[in-house]
Amino acid sequence: MEDSGIKLALRYIVSIVIVGLFMFPIAWWALTSVKPISAVFNKDKVVVFDFKPTLENYRVTILGQRKQDFAENQSSSFGTSGGSSYDGRGSIVSSIIVAVGSTALTVTLALLASYGLSRIRFWGSQGFLNWILSQRFLPPIAIIVPLVFIFHDLGLRDTHLGLIIAHTLINIPIAVLLLKSFMDDIPLDVDQAAMIDGATRFQCFWMVVLPLAKGGVAATAVLCFIFSWTEFLLSLFLTNSIRTIPVKITTYVTSTGSEWGYISALGTSAILPSFIFILLVQRHLVRGLTMGAIKD
Amino acid sequence: MADGTDRLRGAATRLPRWLTSDHPFPWLFPASAVLLVFGLYPVLYSLWLTFIKRNPVTRIEKFQPSWNWSKVFADDRVIDAVSVTFTYTAIALVIQLILGLGIALLLDSDKKGFGLLRSLMILPLVVPPAVTGMMFLLMYDGSFGVLSHMLYGLGLLSPETPILTGGTTALWGVIIADVWQWTPFMVLIMLAGLRALPKDPFEAAAIDGATDVQAFFRLTLPMMSKIIALAVLIRGIDLFRIFDYIKVMTDSGPGTATETLTAYAGTIYFKNADFPYASTVSLLTLILVVIVANVFIKIFKVKF
Repeated sequence: MEDSGIKLALRYIVSIVIVGLFMFPIAWWALTSVKPISAVFNKDKVVVFDFKPTLENYRVTILGQRKQDFAENQSSSFGTSGGSSYDGRGSIVSSIIVAVGSTALTVTLALLASYGLSRIRFWGSQGFLNWILSQRFLPPIAIIVPLVFIFHDLGLRDTHLGLIIAHTLINIPIAVLLLKSFMDDIPLDVDQAAMIDGATRFQCFWMVVLPLAKGGVAATAVLCFIFSWTEFLLSLFLTNSIRTIPVKITTYVTSTGSEWGYISALGTSAILPSFIFILLVQRHLVRGLTMGAIKD
Repeated sequence: MADGTDRLRGAATRLPRWLTSDHPFPWLFPASAVLLVFGLYPVLYSLWLTFIKRNPVTRIEKFQPSWNWSKVFADDRVIDAVSVTFTYTAIALVIQLILGLGIALLLDSDKKGFGLLRSLMILPLVVPPAVTGMMFLLMYDGSFGVLSHMLYGLGLLSPETPILTGGTTALWGVIIADVWQWTPFMVLIMLAGLRALPKDPFEAAAIDGATDVQAFFRLTLPMMSKIIALAVLIRGIDLFRIFDYIKVMTDSGPGTATETLTAYAGTIYFKNADFPYASTVSLLTLILVVIVANVFIKIFKVKF
């Protein structure tokens, strides 16, 4: 369907308006993060851009500085509402540790499994695949209660390692299916050629298939990172003091009101890495989201 | 030569065959172990928990298999939660599917600029759902929220009842956030489907004088049916286990107007500390997901 003239112009306009609507919440969010508090809560000038941009919110949340207008002697009487409770540095570090750790663990385990599934024929492989797939659709809420108990007994509750394992658990099914679909794209001939030359299966995997699947591995790793970075439910239940950014952000909402400046500043900081990463792998995104079912 | 191969084999023969890299076991074991220990075992543990009667106050637990299950089927809040969950899933799914298909058709062009628009369209997908909830919470605020002001301006809402405080509007408030975040998922998948369509049938139809609308309903939709079914399945299951938006935006309120099954399970866990009953509600969610998903897979013959 090739358009021309007015039809094309109309298509551009409608497309830009619709995409603009989808971009609006993000833009508004980023805008809020540079507003001074008085402008955020000004109900008479909701959409008027009448304020001096400030980085105050970022100073408090990602640099951990105290609120400027908050004198030392006052902070004690307000208890936790002093500058420190809005310090998001700990949650940023936690999020990075957990996301990087679980990505590394997930990809390692999933690479082995996906090679086995892609290259070795065995009885029950389809059943095994179905089992992996069913794990992807397991509602985390269905396992969370026992998981809390098990983690408690193993000393994994409220630890980075615990959350790394939990995120690995939910990412493995996606990673296995996705990596298998990438490996299925590599012809079996390359393995056979290597094995005729005397390579073992493991050498085939390590020296032949893995280098060929590099792009797919990178895409899988990025998706695993993002899923861990954005995960909420498991982090909420399994940790108390180690908070990842999504959980930390919800603690800024209090019964006395929400600190929208800080929330949006930390939120914007959390979104940016995801945006960069996702644009890097957008070519493989459809395959990733459908776990290899649709190859584009 | 015989010596050479023997020496090469020497190392391998010491291991049992199922431990060599020719056997699937070593490849599948590490990932399976994680899934078994932290995935399957908790489900079985959960099932066992549902047979325990726990008194949240005295914390006395005793084995009484029918207690939680008879409670769950007599619990009005569970019935409400089931209906909220299905309502939420159905409405959000239909909106996302229609919008996704429409936007995909719109953006499926090789003309300059559409590539950028398609890239921008992806972005909502990677915003942490908890942050999405917060974004909309800010925009829905009764006094200074920008969306609220637009809705007031359009006369759709009055300042007395902001969207998340009304019994019927609150669910829509959450659905809008979900639609914003997940319509791009549908757009992406539909775009992939549209890109993969063969050109010939459309050219033939155009020669026969078919309109664009006819071509869409007679050709595009039927040829995309597999992909649409797959997208609906994945999105439907994820919608069914919705937790983040509800927890962040309404915390099941007002009252229990937006209480889904997972949210109710969370409430029982956090507020009542009745772990066995929380497990029962969670497992009910799982059972419903499995039934609905399998019926769907059978009807539409979805294949991964």
